[in-house]
Amino acid sequence: MNFERIDRGDETVLKISGALDAMSAPELRPTIDALIADARGSVKVDLSSLRLIDSSGVGVIVSLYKRMRAAGAVMTLEGLRDQPLAIFKLLRLDRVFVLE
Amino acid sequence: MIRLRVPSALLYRDLAVRAVQAACKLVGDATSSAALTVHRDFDDHVVSAFSEAFNNAAIHSYRDRAPGEIEVEIEPAADCITLRLLDRGNTYVIADVPDPDLDALPESGMGLYIIKSFMDEVRYDPGDAVAGRPNVLTMSKRLSDGGTK
Repeated sequence: MNFERIDRGDETVLKISGALDAMSAPELRPTIDALIADARGSVKVDLSSLRLIDSSGVGVIVSLYKRMRAAGAVMTLEGLRDQPLAIFKLLRLDRVFVLE
Repeated sequence: MIRLRVPSALLYRDLAVRAVQAACKLVGDATSSAALTVHRDFDDHVVSAFSEAFNNAAIHSYRDRAPGEIEVEIEPAADCITLRLLDRGNTYVIADVPDPDLDALPESGMGLYIIKSFMDEVRYDPGDAVAGRPNVLTMSKRLSDGGTK
């Protein structure tokens, strides 16, 4: 997995590529902590280059969403497709994110 | 049948997943565009379920005990695929694992739900260390269900 944080004014784009899974998800935790600590108003998570996600990876994304919401900030997803999209649909995350 | 034996560590998951991914291509006829669409869903579902099953074996089966091995058996057929994961670690009762409360936006405990939702048949046979019998998780999926589940 690779990820990149790009700050543009009040908005941050977090681009995640490769596989976000039980092996790699812990690597993302410090970046999520930093986004919350920096009180970012809006985070867009770009998953257009995400090849594979598992339940641990979903857990990290949901954790970010919950913490952003608790801080009064906004988190959105973009670019979901293929296997990651199938997982998000199964877990009914279309109730909180626009998936397609 | 395709057989793979790896140490019970997440480091080997990608290797095992790629083997399953490649085996999915051996199921059915993926030459027409309609078949390709169904096949893509089938592949995504099988890979998702297998990934969770491997996680469970690597993380939970050998918790609090010496690391062991995970054996993977892959049986692609004309219209379905059967996967078996064998380990010699801790056992569990599949019926005792509750489905997650999706309304609560859980951050964990979704693995078995993903397995059961994406595969047509799931069976767990706990092993017997004294008899030398491993725990076996058997999962199968028919291609015809790939695009509809």
